[in-house]
Amino acid sequence: MSDVLLLVQAAADTTRAYGEFPVIGARAAVWIAAEVHLMFAAFVLGVPMFAVVTEAIGIFGGDERYDRLSKEFTRLLLVAYSATAIWGTVLLFFLATLYPRFFAYLFAIFKYSAWVYAGLFFFESFTLYLYYYGWDRWKKGRAKVGHWTLGILLNVWGTIVMFIANSWLTYMMSPPRDIGPTTDPTTIKLWHAIANATWMPINVHRLVANVVFGGAIVGAYASYRFLAARTDEERAHYDWMGYVGNFIAISALIVLPFAGYWLGREIYQYDQSMGITMMGGFMSWLWVIQAFLIAVLFLTGNYYLWIGMGRIPGAERFRPYTKWLLAVLVLGAIVWGTPHTMIADSKELAAMGGSHHPFLGALGVMSAKNTAVNLMILTTFLSFLMYRRGNMRLVVPWARAGTMIQAAMFAIAAGVVLFYGIRGYFVDAIVRIGFSVYQVLAVLACIAGVTVIDILLGRGAQSLGAIQWGKMPPRSQYALFILAVTFTWLMGLMGFARSGVRQYWHVWQVMQDTSKYAATPALGYASKMISLCVLIFLSLVAFVFWLGGLAEKSTFVSAGEGKARHVGH
Amino acid sequence: MWVTNLKIVGVVLGVLSLYTLIANKIPQVQSEVPQALALGANVTPEQLVAAGEKVFNGIGGCTTCHGLGTRAPNLLTDEKGTGPIGARCGRRETGKTCKQYLFESLDNPTAYVVPGYQPIMPVMTKQLSPEQVWAVIAFLESQGGTVDVTASDIPAPSPGALTPGASPGSPGSGPPGFAAGSTDPKAIIQAAGCLACHKLDGQGQMIAPDLTHVGSRRDAESIRKKILDPASSVAKGYEKLAGIMPKTFGSMMNASQLEALVQYLAAHK
Repeated sequence: MSDVLLLVQAAADTTRAYGEFPVIGARAAVWIAAEVHLMFAAFVLGVPMFAVVTEAIGIFGGDERYDRLSKEFTRLLLVAYSATAIWGTVLLFFLATLYPRFFAYLFAIFKYSAWVYAGLFFFESFTLYLYYYGWDRWKKGRAKVGHWTLGILLNVWGTIVMFIANSWLTYMMSPPRDIGPTTDPTTIKLWHAIANATWMPINVHRLVANVVFGGAIVGAYASYRFLAARTDEERAHYDWMGYVGNFIAISALIVLPFAGYWLGREIYQYDQSMGITMMGGFMSWLWVIQAFLIAVLFLTGNYYLWIGMGRIPGAERFRPYTKWLLAVLVLGAIVWGTPHTMIADSKELAAMGGSHHPFLGALGVMSAKNTAVNLMILTTFLSFLMYRRGNMRLVVPWARAGTMIQAAMFAIAAGVVLFYGIRGYFVDAIVRIGFSVYQVLAVLACIAGVTVIDILLGRGAQSLGAIQWGKMPPRSQYALFILAVTFTWLMGLMGFARSGVRQYWHVWQVMQDTSKYAATPALGYASKMISLCVLIFLSLVAFVFWLGGLAEKSTFVSAGEGKARHVGH
Repeated sequence: MWVTNLKIVGVVLGVLSLYTLIANKIPQVQSEVPQALALGANVTPEQLVAAGEKVFNGIGGCTTCHGLGTRAPNLLTDEKGTGPIGARCGRRETGKTCKQYLFESLDNPTAYVVPGYQPIMPVMTKQLSPEQVWAVIAFLESQGGTVDVTASDIPAPSPGALTPGASPGSPGSGPPGFAAGSTDPKAIIQAAGCLACHKLDGQGQMIAPDLTHVGSRRDAESIRKKILDPASSVAKGYEKLAGIMPKTFGSMMNASQLEALVQYLAAHK
């Protein structure tokens, strides 16, 4: 069928279907424009989420530092919005001139939503201006709550904008099955095209990922300011800010695999061959790289927490446990990174003695990988818990019993994860897939239950000493940089996976790519493109930060003005 | 401050370089656009094997199941001590050569289902052109056996005929259809291999939904749509087999045949 379509579509391309871009080619030009635009879009969607949460903590928790932190980041948004719009316009022009036929096809279906999209930019921009410039005017009482509502509104506009853009790209990936190569695009109902199989999973996945990304970029910004700080007070402020950014990033990261799993499931249900291409076909090696990046994120995030415990009086009690946590994380990362169904030629298969490695093949299946990642998540949560408990002396009479219950919850969750992980080897694939839901539910229930108990346990707790913000070695700040770079690179990699799985189709099995760039490149080429995009993005972000510093002095306050607390207290 | 800035730049570039290096050190696999296969009369066994390997790993979609170790037997490596497919194909059916066995396995996959596996393989002679089918056979023979496929095995295309996997004929020329264009629904069902998966009036397999009373579940329009676009709907309880039914029936039978088949099935209440 593919050959027939190829020929029919090639014959139909009697008018100009593709343009050319000098030196780097049309595909690379669109790739860079789309990727950098998307990174900025994630930044301007993630940071407002961060800003509105920290403003709420400032309002309802009575800690003004959070309010000032929120404002500091909203200031950066002003410039970042411009960069997002510029790159969006570049992408639009590139698509319209380099892929005119495809662009016309998409616009024939989505023109109304594109107009709404453009209109929402006005709402979003003006809400941002009101939010930022009204900060000092509406800073007390009801006016402050009204101001905070503007922040929520900003997030609402941003989320709708993202949902609209997501509908375009998910349509390319999973067009409704009643749409074929001969379907006239003008006859396709807009909502029918929007509500395609992968739209909502992508929406949720990107929403969570933007929170992670926003937190990571905030962490990187704070770490830069920490390293550049001239006074202890300034250093303390940015140390605290880096911690908050990392806390939000890692907290959201814990949820992200579940959203990703849902997306993967929907892809398989939509088209099994697409799912197999993604996980077991030419993209199979990509997941080994992804596993490595996830391992870096988990290890670096936990490392930052463990170093941070050095500035918490009393936290030394927990230091002996960190080596065991490290062992679980390393083992989990190794299992997750073990390949399973790799695309291989006959010689490689013969050398391996089968389609799977005789020993490692058993570790590469999803039963083992799901078990590994769930245990890594539990371990990271335990690191947070130890950090939180660092300087607390519990005084409630049921402190020991409460801690025992928490330990039992961890043990039960780990037991459930292990049980279903092992059981998965003895049942059919369709049953095994369902097991991952039980594993996820066990972990989430443990996180929720332990957190509630911990909050109750912490009532009236004595402090073993205030957290010594700023007393962090520089290597901890470089860890935050590694987190930010890795998150950004991972975003580029997953974007390649999502887009590349369509292979030689602009719109999966509906509109074929007949350009000279139709073949999907190998991971080596893709990695160079991703690194280039990350470098462009980070350079521009550094410029945005520098501009932000020129416009106004930073918002750090002396330690005496705010209570030395940390998130969770 | 410059030292700090340089250190930060160093960390960023170092991390980017590390990830790029790792991604370039792993095997590089590019997803190619499938090309139509044209083999000349003087094609050599080596050319056939090379072409077959491409079809096997590409447009044929064989690796979707063969090689995963769970859905279908290993073909390129040992299968339960019997060796790769080229070494075992000549022993699979008494009186059949390797070449015969492989062709029949591609033409009528349910005839030789290996014990322990589900009969889910589509009829490959309806998915691929004769050139592609024989190239795949040559490639499979080369996996531990001797390649004896020659150009003479590949039938010359009949004038005006549309073969799967090949270019379409001149505009307006429709496909000749199954069973030499017969509009007898039973002949169409037999020729299209529907009973390889479906059961109808007590005959056929129970892999896909039983069609004996299909008319009570679907009207003619729904049956027509299902044949033309199998993915348009999936019967309850058969979700895991979604995508198995070939999408090519609509282009392989003529309009008279399609309508005859649709009305015949719709009458099965």
